[in-house]
Amino acid sequence: MTAPLIALNGLTKRYGSFTAVDDVTFDVPEGSICGLLGPNGAGKTTTFKCLLGFVKPSAGTVAIQGAPVTPATFEELAYVPERASLYDNLTIGQHLTLYRRSYKHFDAARAAELLALFSLEEKQKAQRLSKGMRTAVALVLAFSIRPRVLILDEPSSGLDPIHQRHVLDLMIEAAANGAAVLFSSHQVGQVERAADSVAIMKRGKLIVSSVIDDLKSGEKIIEAVFAGPIPDLGDLAGDPRILRTEQTGSLLRVVTRDDNDAIAQRIFALHPKSIRTIDLNLEEIFMNAVSGDQH
Amino acid sequence: MPTIFTVDPRSGIPLYLQLTEQIKRAIALGTLAPGEQLPTVKALALELTVNPNTVARVYRELERDGVIDTSPGRGSFVSAGKAGVESRRAIADVARAAFEGAVREAKSLGLSREETHELMTRSIARWYETENE
Repeated sequence: MTAPLIALNGLTKRYGSFTAVDDVTFDVPEGSICGLLGPNGAGKTTTFKCLLGFVKPSAGTVAIQGAPVTPATFEELAYVPERASLYDNLTIGQHLTLYRRSYKHFDAARAAELLALFSLEEKQKAQRLSKGMRTAVALVLAFSIRPRVLILDEPSSGLDPIHQRHVLDLMIEAAANGAAVLFSSHQVGQVERAADSVAIMKRGKLIVSSVIDDLKSGEKIIEAVFAGPIPDLGDLAGDPRILRTEQTGSLLRVVTRDDNDAIAQRIFALHPKSIRTIDLNLEEIFMNAVSGDQH
Repeated sequence: MPTIFTVDPRSGIPLYLQLTEQIKRAIALGTLAPGEQLPTVKALALELTVNPNTVARVYRELERDGVIDTSPGRGSFVSAGKAGVESRRAIADVARAAFEGAVREAKSLGLSREETHELMTRSIARWYETENE
């Protein structure tokens, strides 16, 4: 196996006594799309800045294509920040020219195609563009350099639903061609659709890092209704395959992390009146994860 | 190939399971014929707007189950040689999952083994006898 294209190992960033990123380890291999989720202030953007070498980590390491970040890294790395930085007095066409001069792999035909896709025109001046259009220009530039590594911070904010879908298609196409994509989003549905793995951050810590389908296979709610009071759960209560249990009257809800069939059978042995397993989508899993330790 | 698969990424059922089942069902129903070529991983991922690794996982599992054959450079095809056996197994898979679901549901609603059995027997009688008349 070759080294993952994006790797974070024990990444930590402190600002004074505040820890913005706290011992974060995960990677994104070739051909993979990882969605980074987390509430505002979770440390997503700081993580990106560390990955790009804009901010120096307090501890831990980052690697792009198996090596520390140097100016040469950016030859094959595309970064789209949350707020696209464009030169206000230049046209879109002039931005393309700048990119053509700066990037070896810049593909002008591809750029023209992408401009049309996002309904943009070369003669438009950056300062007249809406926030969404600026993001679209940044995306056109990013995908035109045929990057091997893509780091996208909220790449679809401000875009209409059709253009949002184009962004997902572009990521999928890039991954199918062997690129590694790491993107943050507040729209869990986008991550669920386009990404194969998810990383969830909360207050600087990485609280979930998994293949999305594996997460969905493991994390379920088992809901059992008993005729009377809920019997003693015995050693089931401390089972590491269980994330959480909730008891309300005669209703028992168990959130599993793994082996939900086995857990369901054990609960069934306690003779509930009825029992069912509820599938959880990524949004529900995300909400469970980020609200986990607040009660 | 026309779009014959629809997956729901927002469901709690893993995408790869949804897609695996749909492809098996299409083979069982003959919508996908033995020897027919499947789209490439990239094409299907783009068509459904889902992750290419997810589609690759589906193809790997279908290949492991003998439902499709993949040859490097040529693509993936519905198994021709073992098509009869494999598509029957695919049908059985789909049917078994439906049975399992029905029995689990009956059990969780508190029906006894006998009551569940009775329901099943009645269903079988209803559908199979109509066929033979």
